[in-house]
Amino acid sequence: MKRSREKAASELFAALYPRLAGWCRRLVDDDETAHEIASEAFTRLWARWTSVAEPRGFLYVTAANLVRDHWRKLERERRAMHRVTSEAAVRPHPEQADPSVRLLVQSLPERLRVPLLLHYYADMPIREVSVLTGRKEGTVKADLHAARELLRVHLRRSLDHTP
Amino acid sequence: MTTRLDDDGPEFGPDDPLAVILRPSSPDYLSAPPGHYEAIRRRSARRRLLRAAAGAGLLCATAALIALPVRLTAPERPASPTVPMAPPSRTTAPPHPSPSLSPSPYPSGPASKAPTPTAQDTGGATAPTPSSRLPSAAPSAVRPVPSATRPATDRPFGGRR
Repeated sequence: MKRSREKAASELFAALYPRLAGWCRRLVDDDETAHEIASEAFTRLWARWTSVAEPRGFLYVTAANLVRDHWRKLERERRAMHRVTSEAAVRPHPEQADPSVRLLVQSLPERLRVPLLLHYYADMPIREVSVLTGRKEGTVKADLHAARELLRVHLRRSLDHTP
Repeated sequence: MTTRLDDDGPEFGPDDPLAVILRPSSPDYLSAPPGHYEAIRRRSARRRLLRAAAGAGLLCATAALIALPVRLTAPERPASPTVPMAPPSRTTAPPHPSPSLSPSPYPSGPASKAPTPTAQDTGGATAPTPSSRLPSAAPSAVRPVPSATRPATDRPFGGRR
């Protein structure tokens, strides 16, 4: 029993960790943070292994929440640093992997962000997103539509402001 | 007018900038460093143990919080009646009958130690109650009690004769 559970855990880790960590890497600044977030998601999964019906969805939703927390923490730090030093000294790191994605996803409200992250970045079909978020499929479709429209507006605005 | 959801058709046009952002050409992979899996397993086991301990502690605390007010607000049990050690004593009477109050020809023996309130209570006019006769029933077989009860009970009967 214990051995089979260990084997299942090992297989799940081998199948999902690289993809999950890569997904996190697109949203955060560095590899270390991406590994931290992916590891924390797996730790939370295995800490309640018996009560999780859909481990893949649990991992991505947990990772999405952790990424959001990471962004909030960075924002707090940035504001705190801005109070004591000049803005130029704490400008965001120039080596961000995909700043446009991060900026755009960050600008979405949470209600629209999670379905967008799960559908487009975790490659989950709408039905799975619906089960994970506890919303109807039609609601998820409407949320994705609204998220895309918001992203288009933000993207157009950012392109207009680009010199 | 209702919003048309374009999930059934193509989501992005050919030159839609969103397609670049939301549909990456190839998904990124970030493989785990060596020993990462074991570290995560250890950490999750520790956390599971901690959760179980915290749950048990919370359960105990909740049980105590529920049980304590119930115990404190429960009505007090009525005091159980205590068996009197001796018959209610009078202020003037000593706890042990003195030889002068119950004169007996036999100074020693268990019957002489027992108080004989019947001699003082009934007097000569009233008839002895069965309760007053009880203590003196056993020893009366061996000793003649010169108490006032005996002549008092016999007097009306004898008087008629």
